Amino acid sequence: MRTVKQAKLLRLHFSEGDHYKGKPLYEAIVNRCRELKIAGATVFRGLEGYGETAEIHRHHLVRRDQPIVVTVVDTAENLARLIPEVEAMMDTGMIATSDVEYIRIEKPPGDPTR
Amino acid sequence: MLQRGTAKKVTIFVNEDTRHHLASLSEAILTFLFHRGVSGATATRAMAGFGAHHAMHTTKIEALTEHLPIRIEFIESAARVDELMPTLYDMVTDGIIEVQDTQVVKVANRERPAPPQGPHAESKGAARLMRIYMGESDRWQDEPLFEAIVKRLRLMDIAGATVYRGILGYGAKGHTHKSGRLPFSHDLPVMISVVDSAEKLGRALAEIESMMQDGIIVLSDVEVIRFIHGGPLTENSNANGETGETPSAAL
Repeated sequence: MRTVKQAKLLRLHFSEGDHYKGKPLYEAIVNRCRELKIAGATVFRGLEGYGETAEIHRHHLVRRDQPIVVTVVDTAENLARLIPEVEAMMDTGMIATSDVEYIRIEKPPGDPTR
Repeated sequence: MLQRGTAKKVTIFVNEDTRHHLASLSEAILTFLFHRGVSGATATRAMAGFGAHHAMHTTKIEALTEHLPIRIEFIESAARVDELMPTLYDMVTDGIIEVQDTQVVKVANRERPAPPQGPHAESKGAARLMRIYMGESDRWQDEPLFEAIVKRLRLMDIAGATVYRGILGYGAKGHTHKSGRLPFSHDLPVMISVVDSAEKLGRALAEIESMMQDGIIVLSDVEVIRFIHGGPLTENSNANGETGETPSAAL
C-alpha cells in the first residue's frame, strides 16, 4: 500500500542535558507525541553543536550535553496540536517546521521482494 | 574518457602470425588504438580455436601452436568507433571485426585529478531533499536495508546520501525503537537523507519503494549550495548542475 499526501515536518533542537519532570526531555517529548497520537517521532543525537547561549554542546566525561534533534512528520493539524504542548515543555531550544510530501510504504508481510 | 551509458564494444579476431607491414597485426592494431586515444584495449591470446581457414590451432600440440588466435577488445562511444572503423577495416587483412552494443556501468579511475587546490567555487540551485525513515533491523536480501539503499543510490549516480541513526523513536510500525541492554540488540530508527535534482530523486524513489517493506519517505524542496573544488571538474559540474545532472565525483 502506498499513500502520498502533503504533510509537515517538525524539528525540535535542544540539548541532551535538558530534562522535563526528571526524565530526559527527548523521552518526555516522544511520550507526549504518542499520547497525542502523532504518527511518529525520531530522536537523533548530534556530535557537537551550539545554540542560543553560544555554549558548545558536546560529550563531556560525566555530563552528556550533545545536541538533540527530534523530527516529527504529520499533518499540519496534528502538528498544530503538538507544537503548543512541546513549547511548554522546552526551556530553551528551537522549533522549525517545513512543508513536505509524505509517502507511506506498507507492504504485506512475506512479500517476495524481501 | 569513457562515459557511463550505451557504448560499442569492438572485438577483433586475428591470427598471431598475421603481419601488417613489418610488425605483427595484433601489435599494429593495439598501437593504432593507443595513438588514437582509445580509453583502453586488451589483447588476449587464445588457448585454442579455429577460424575461416578451418584449421585447428591449439597450444597442446607443438606443431599446431602457430597461428593461434588473438582477440583484441575495446569499448568506446559509437561516434569514436565510427571514426576508427575505416582504418581498422583496412588493417585487418585476415580475421573478423565484430561490433556489439554494450552498456558501460562503471568507469572507475583511481588516478583522480589532483585534489582541492585554489579557491572553492560556489554553486546554488533548487533541488529536492528526500528523507527515508526505516528501522535499523530492516533487511533487504540478507543485508541491512539502509546499506542496500545507499549502494543502490550510488549505482544510480545520486549525488550523495547520509545515514543517521536515531537514539529513540516510534512510527509506522507502532513499536518504540530503543537500544537494548546489549550493544548488539539494535533496532533503532534509521534515517537516510539524500539531496539531488527532482528528476533523479524521482527515479531513485521508485527503486527505493520496491526495496522497502515498511516505512516512510518524506520529500521537500531545498536550495543547494555546493562547494566545488577548482580545476577542470568545476566547469563540468557547473554545466551539469544546471541540467540537474550532478556527478558524484564532483562532490
